[in-house]
Amino acid sequence: MRKTTFLTLVVIMLLRAGTSAQTPGREFVTVDPVDPVTVRMGSSAPMQITLHVQPGYHINSNKPLTEELIPTQIHFTPPEDLVIAKVQYPAGVLTSFPFDPTTKLSVYSGNVTVKAAVLPAPKAGAGTYTVHAEVKYQACDNNACYPPKRVPVAFDVKITSSSSKLPKAKPTRTSPHIHN
Amino acid sequence: MNRNLLFFTVALLLCVAASEKLWPRGLQDANHTSSSGPEKGATAPDFTLKVVDGKGQTMQLSSLQGKAVLVNFWATWCEPCKIEMPWLAELQKKYGPEGLQIIGVAVDDSGEKNISGFARKLGVNYPVLQGTEKVADMYGGVEGLPMSFFIDRSGKVSDKILGLVSESVIEDAIKKSLEQKGDTKTAAGK
Repeated sequence: MRKTTFLTLVVIMLLRAGTSAQTPGREFVTVDPVDPVTVRMGSSAPMQITLHVQPGYHINSNKPLTEELIPTQIHFTPPEDLVIAKVQYPAGVLTSFPFDPTTKLSVYSGNVTVKAAVLPAPKAGAGTYTVHAEVKYQACDNNACYPPKRVPVAFDVKITSSSSKLPKAKPTRTSPHIHN
Repeated sequence: MNRNLLFFTVALLLCVAASEKLWPRGLQDANHTSSSGPEKGATAPDFTLKVVDGKGQTMQLSSLQGKAVLVNFWATWCEPCKIEMPWLAELQKKYGPEGLQIIGVAVDDSGEKNISGFARKLGVNYPVLQGTEKVADMYGGVEGLPMSFFIDRSGKVSDKILGLVSESVIEDAIKKSLEQKGDTKTAAGK
């Protein structure tokens, strides 16, 4: 009996410690590691970046409804041999929050997948390249907003010659918003 | 192990987990207080900041000693701030004659024009200053917005509130900061 009570208390304390250790530098969004991409010269390959918005928080969509709000954006910095095109952000969900039930905001919460296409530049050579990117977001909860944050992301792209065989690509869904 | 005890333990753990999930972090504690920044009772860190649209004019916090001061950190990208700022304008009007001075500190890099236009649109009737990282750090890094520090007439922090709370909670904190008698011989409102 005592042992069980003790164990229960330990588990409760651990649970609370894990969730209450919120520091000013906390992350409201985590980004999954990006799968490496293989693309043939003269062709393109899909890639995607998945963000996870922590429960209880939301971030602005890529198209917030007022210009003051900071959109969620991914800025790619590819090497000269690669081009990142057709960046597709999901549509935001129109939501009202307790701080202003009369106004709807276009936001993301939960999992957010941003898709893009990777293309070798016309003069690119075969090889493996690293693309650096940065996810910019600004999070809020039901009472407060938190300063904008940037999360660095990197992924490898292998360019193969046009005659080589590619691994089978994963099927992808299309998204309504396309930004070049 | 007793089955009832096992059931009780599992139910308790589920309740704890659910409460953590449903209770957004950081703000909704009973006092709406923040763990960062100067503690209650501590002297408010002094700063001098540029007045937005003030034609190069600056304002020093310590020049307001003898008044109760509400330092409200905000930004144009903060939706809850938009709700709170008209309340602050009302409270400035109501308690200004009693010695309250509200100061808005914009933690925002959208430019002076946008900041002043935004504040004007919300009916702000108190000075808005352009915040800096240094001042934000002096006040605990301003972990979220809106964030308000209530400073009594003697220059000490009497309350701090992170996030949007009701107007009456803000008003109570203002009344508390006004109650403290300070040295009114200082250069208040210079």
